[in-house]
Amino acid sequence: MQYHYHKHDVIIVGAGGAGLMAALYAGKEVDTAVISKLYPTRSHTGAAQGGIGAALANLEEDHWEWHAYDTIKGADFIGDQDAIEFMCKDAPNVVFELEHMGLPFDRTPEGKISQRRFGGHTNNETKQAVMRACNSADRTGHMILQTLYQQCIKHNVNFYDEYQMLDLIIEDGEARGVVAYEIDTGELHVFHAKAIMLATGGWGRVWNITSNALTLTGDGPAIVARHGLPLEDMEFFQFHPTGLFKLGILITEAVRGEGGVLINGKGERFMPKYAPTVKELASRDVVSRAIYLEVLEGNGIDGKDYVYLDITPKTVNHYFEVDNSRLPNGELRHIDEDYVRAKLEDITDFCKTYVGVDPTKEPIPVQPTAHYAMGGIPTDNDTRVIANENKDPIPGLYAAGECACVSVHGGNRLGTNSLLDIVVFGRRGGKVMAEEVKQKDFKPIDAESAVAKVQAELDAILNNQGTETIAAIQQEMKNIMSKDVGVFRVEEGMAEAVKKLRELRERYKHIHIDDKGKRFNTNLMEAWQLGNLLDIALITAESALARKESRGAHARDDFKERDDENWMKHTMAYLDADGNVTLKYKPVVVTKYQPVKRVY
Amino acid sequence: MQVTLKIQRFNPEKDSAPYWKEYTIEAEPTDRVLDGLLKIKLEQDGTLTMRSSCAHGICGSDAMRINGVNRLACKSLFQEVGNNVTVEPIAGLPVIKDLVVDMEPFMEHYRSVLPFFINDDPPPEKERLQSEEDRLKFEETTKCILCGCCTTSCPTFWATDAYVGPAAIVQAHRFIFDSRDQGSAQRLEILADPDGVWRCRTIFNCTNACPREIKVTEAIAEVKKEILFSKL
Amino acid sequence: MTTRYARTPKPSGSTFEVLSWFYMRASGALLALMVVFHLIWMHYVIGLTNIDFDVIAGRWTGPGGIFWRSYDLTLLILASLHGMNGIRFVTDDYIHNRGWRAVVKALIALVLLLMVVFGGLVIFTFNG
Repeated sequence: MQYHYHKHDVIIVGAGGAGLMAALYAGKEVDTAVISKLYPTRSHTGAAQGGIGAALANLEEDHWEWHAYDTIKGADFIGDQDAIEFMCKDAPNVVFELEHMGLPFDRTPEGKISQRRFGGHTNNETKQAVMRACNSADRTGHMILQTLYQQCIKHNVNFYDEYQMLDLIIEDGEARGVVAYEIDTGELHVFHAKAIMLATGGWGRVWNITSNALTLTGDGPAIVARHGLPLEDMEFFQFHPTGLFKLGILITEAVRGEGGVLINGKGERFMPKYAPTVKELASRDVVSRAIYLEVLEGNGIDGKDYVYLDITPKTVNHYFEVDNSRLPNGELRHIDEDYVRAKLEDITDFCKTYVGVDPTKEPIPVQPTAHYAMGGIPTDNDTRVIANENKDPIPGLYAAGECACVSVHGGNRLGTNSLLDIVVFGRRGGKVMAEEVKQKDFKPIDAESAVAKVQAELDAILNNQGTETIAAIQQEMKNIMSKDVGVFRVEEGMAEAVKKLRELRERYKHIHIDDKGKRFNTNLMEAWQLGNLLDIALITAESALARKESRGAHARDDFKERDDENWMKHTMAYLDADGNVTLKYKPVVVTKYQPVKRVY
Repeated sequence: MQVTLKIQRFNPEKDSAPYWKEYTIEAEPTDRVLDGLLKIKLEQDGTLTMRSSCAHGICGSDAMRINGVNRLACKSLFQEVGNNVTVEPIAGLPVIKDLVVDMEPFMEHYRSVLPFFINDDPPPEKERLQSEEDRLKFEETTKCILCGCCTTSCPTFWATDAYVGPAAIVQAHRFIFDSRDQGSAQRLEILADPDGVWRCRTIFNCTNACPREIKVTEAIAEVKKEILFSKL
Repeated sequence: MTTRYARTPKPSGSTFEVLSWFYMRASGALLALMVVFHLIWMHYVIGLTNIDFDVIAGRWTGPGGIFWRSYDLTLLILASLHGMNGIRFVTDDYIHNRGWRAVVKALIALVLLLMVVFGGLVIFTFNG
């Protein structure tokens, strides 16, 4: 069996914010390498727009404790409070560190980092929105990704660009290596390591309308699940309320932070009905459901399934007056066209390019879009992957970023907390891995078997004489997931989805592809990735079917209320070789805050 | 509507030279060229190979020559480019397969200009202060997504790939004009090389090609001025 | 004092190129003016059909002789230097072989030398 062999103390899979931050920290101390299926600057962190949340209090009073409470409440009380407190306390630190790395934040008149309002972030006393999101125009994610990559260049981090991870090498319950496919040449590589961190991002491609890149196919979690390890809270997938109609392209929450309002087909601003205090700045699941309900009642624009997001100065200023919305210095808030164009430059570009709308003059057509995975690979607060509900760690395996579930986002994530999550836990993971590898030796691996296993998986696709196609299976999966495991769910729908997904997984075994070559075979990679999406979709549907309550992003028409007595716990889903999903449960860590009814 | 795409194909394992192949699909006027390419790949020919990721103009993966002009395939709608579209890989870089080129020479030039923040003073406890005015001086060039449209549209780069290229200069500009950065002198020295800024003939192809609408030629001119005035 | 980073590549900081770039623009601007003046003088003041050896000889030996000789010498030097420097720079665009570059640049230098020396000699020593 032909393969290339590499040895590094630490291997990080994924070169987004979490992966690069971990690489910088681990790389300072030990031999580290990053494997990424994309050139690092193509990672999806670059698409994040709004900002990174931290209680700097640069413009008005704020405290990390408020940030923590907002996050806990936003998570609908299923987030682990100790992890959340750690993240929010560390936030100002990590934001200053990014600035020291050169990140070009927007600035206040005093030259400090500028902050803006964002959904779910409040002054805990007045309950009004607080300015906590630190931003760089509306391309904060792009700036974070670029800055981290620049730092990696400065510190000579090793990169294996355009290598697709295909499997983990786990022996004696310990993670010892990674098998990857070099996309350019089609050759297999074995990476022998003492510590492996998965930072592979989300899996929005399971659904039809998504903000996620084509490459977000849940590779890390799928591989982990196939090794018999659990995935946590998979039923909690966030649908961001404002994706561009039909395309799903993200229109940042920052638009609402700057004063944007949601208008239905009758010309009404409907959010005050659903969230009387903060209105458009309620947490995302609340807003998505509001839009969904309005559409269901026939109040969509022209009766269709979208509403308007209006950031035209005329409308915004009108509602500032209606709401009596004021700046910290007491002045009535007011915006003009230049302000919108400057603060929301990229959004203005998307709207003009894709729907021919100038947001300073017309409202933007939006609908909920599959956006973020709150669940994923379960870890402890130091990013160590755990094997079960008792939190036994798997030596050598770590996870951070969207693909991990610490859990800091619980049932629903607040905006600006993802950019925060990735840098906080990327940093933490990098440090922990560096410490831990110094205390252990390389263990032997059976590279031959590992490669043979992967080659067999690839051959099963390459040599397949079946008649199933990527196109058909992919579309059917997306259709069933969008219909039955989307914003609103019911028993029959989810059961139907589970059944259908099982069928699709069987049919997938007979998938054939056109490209049988070795060089840059993206056809093969897409087919392999579809397998991941199917596994993840099945686990998601099963986890959702079992949870008989509505909480955070998991909303059921047949169980409309939150049930803390029976369901305040994390789901741990195990996939077996026959495609059966076994569900177990893990308690939520509560430090200070008992659950209360969630109102905005 | 019916759209015909004439695409440059090349399989390094079989072909000795690139060739053209035509495909016809049904598409909406508001569909992206990338949507068209992916449709062909899914429904007609799975061997068609291209890079793509975000599909909305932010990652820079799918830079291509569409109707002879460098664009991002995911930001080009059929209502703009018409229904008879030519698609080829970007020029000046070696073609690996179909629409995929070797980005390494481009990335090497980028890495050579010290494209990272340099400030050796111990950082303050909180943020370094910077006025909005100072930040705006380099805001344009922070928008760069390293898509390669500019460098691969430059005739000088086509003639000699030793030229560091507009993208690298833009990335260097971002730091040279950042009031917090202290590495200007080193970067200006690197760019004052004959294969640095001086190779720019102010042709403006780069500015036209940039999908982020960065005024590339202007940025390069600012660097030239900076070198001149710091040497004189 | 800033730390040097190991990644700095080829030796650089070519002051020659900075000055060369500046010269091309400064001489270009001057040449633009001088050439226009020259064309106007030749086409309209003298008249194209009237130009012959005697006219030029008369210019250089007559009362305005110093002015015309200086003007023509300046034009010669500025233009030859501008032109040959331009070709020098362009050879690096199209000729990648180091050996051939050396040959071509040597030829350019030779042509420049010949133009300036012989042209200058003519202008200075012309005696009618």
